[in-house]
Amino acid sequence: MAYMLEIQSANKCFGRGTVNEHTALENLNLSLEQGEFVTVLGSNGAGKSTLFNAICGNFLLDSGHIFLDGTDITFMPEYKRSLKIGRLFQDPMKGTAPSLTIEENLALAYSKQKKRSFSLALARKDRDFFRQELEQFGMDLENRMKTRVGLLSGGQRQVVTLLMSTLVPPKLLLLDEHTAALDPATAEKVMEITRQIVERFQITTMMITHNMKQALETGTRTIMLDSGGILLDMDREMRKDLTVERLLDMYSEKKKAEFCNDRILLA
Amino acid sequence: MTLLIGSLQLGLLYSVMVLGIYISFRILNIPDLTAEGSFTFGLAVSAVCTVSGHPFLGIPGAIVAGGLAGGFTGILQTRLRIHPVLTGILTMSGLYSINMLVLGGTPNLALIGKDTLFSLAVAAGGGMDKEVVRLALSLAAAGICTVLLALFFHTQLGLCIRATGDNPDMVRASSINVDRMKIISLAISNSLIALCGGLIAQYQSFADINSGVGILVVGLASVIIGEAIFGRRSVTIGLVSAIFGSVIYRYIIAAATRADWFPAYMLKLVSALIVTLALAIPAIRQMLEVQRIRRAGKGGN
Repeated sequence: MAYMLEIQSANKCFGRGTVNEHTALENLNLSLEQGEFVTVLGSNGAGKSTLFNAICGNFLLDSGHIFLDGTDITFMPEYKRSLKIGRLFQDPMKGTAPSLTIEENLALAYSKQKKRSFSLALARKDRDFFRQELEQFGMDLENRMKTRVGLLSGGQRQVVTLLMSTLVPPKLLLLDEHTAALDPATAEKVMEITRQIVERFQITTMMITHNMKQALETGTRTIMLDSGGILLDMDREMRKDLTVERLLDMYSEKKKAEFCNDRILLA
Repeated sequence: MTLLIGSLQLGLLYSVMVLGIYISFRILNIPDLTAEGSFTFGLAVSAVCTVSGHPFLGIPGAIVAGGLAGGFTGILQTRLRIHPVLTGILTMSGLYSINMLVLGGTPNLALIGKDTLFSLAVAAGGGMDKEVVRLALSLAAAGICTVLLALFFHTQLGLCIRATGDNPDMVRASSINVDRMKIISLAISNSLIALCGGLIAQYQSFADINSGVGILVVGLASVIIGEAIFGRRSVTIGLVSAIFGSVIYRYIIAAATRADWFPAYMLKLVSALIVTLALAIPAIRQMLEVQRIRRAGKGGN
């Protein structure tokens, strides 16, 4: 069975040989099947965002390999990977161009699949399609398609970004705390829309969150990262009766075990 | 009357350059100093072509020259990661030598007695007034460039370029090569500036190595004057406002040079002041606002 995403013993160390040397990823292995929705937990500096950056190609790995749908993308440049990978950030400003209108932003994302040419960016047929897609969110965005995105609220911008990264359904969707900067009601709404889209296209998804409850309730699998590796990996079966308290216990047990190993090593 | 129509001709011709500055300054958000070199590059190429009896060839020649200059700056900025302002300065000073080379080692070249686009148009116009024909040609140049650019910025490629100046991260996420977009837009920007140089050479039948000095400030001043009238709205309005800004700038200059008390050599200082003031307005406004709040707060206590 071929995996949609396969990471083989990924290693990344920043500032090697300096006082700031920092091992960001250490022998990390991860395989995702098509349609899996993985929530990613971990404290600050555990390597969550680094993992996403590695998958997207912000930097190249020191060693290891990344396969996307059977293709080796380890050395592929960032902009080429983004053809198959959609990504959302915590900052709603990051995903859209503020001085372009909603429809222009969408058109730009929609043209991903085609070779960019001198043909007009917005055909009537595209406009109708965008309107129809925006309508289903019930945020009245379909009537503001000629509004510049810079004038929208954070939540609205995040919804537009979400639609942009899934207009052409990607092979992999990476959500980096994409609701963290929104107020609770909007965050819930954006989360709902996320589930809806992922469900509809069966997109393989990874979502970083700091909300353990949400992590356990969303998707089909949860992993917990710690110092650049995967500490816990729980599939649907294992997560079923798991509570946040139990998860925290498991975390400290694992940590303690690791600590003992270290002590043995040092002794 | 001659002065009025002359300023209009100059304003329209220079507006081609202002369109180029608008692209780098407003759409790409890069102050591109290449302009100073590429303007003269276009001017020199066009002048040399005209002298050897090919005024028509001079125009595409100037466009290609400017495109090369802009593309070179773009490569320095993206592939070699040199600071944007510095890349412009590097290309500009390198071009000084190249421009001298093109002009045959002399600092200036007169095209008197040679056929230029403008003299040929006047001849073809038959009995029509000479100045009117020259005006029509200037208007055509500005009009064609504006329409083509307005269309271009609504194509897929144009949209990518606009987004590149706005949010490069998002552009990268849309699977677009940001570096390539920057190189393309700097090439377009500078080919317009060089085209303007090429037209000016044939218009005034004269080419001088120092023609490009201060051209960036002239362009910025025109862009800013245009925006003061039209505001900052869509790209199309931005392009049109650049044309109006350029024409108004020429009229301000004409009015200034007419005044006896105003020496012509002060023009560059005035242009620089206009640009400084316009760019400082947001900061000044904020300062005033802070002061107002402070004063109100003190009054309350």
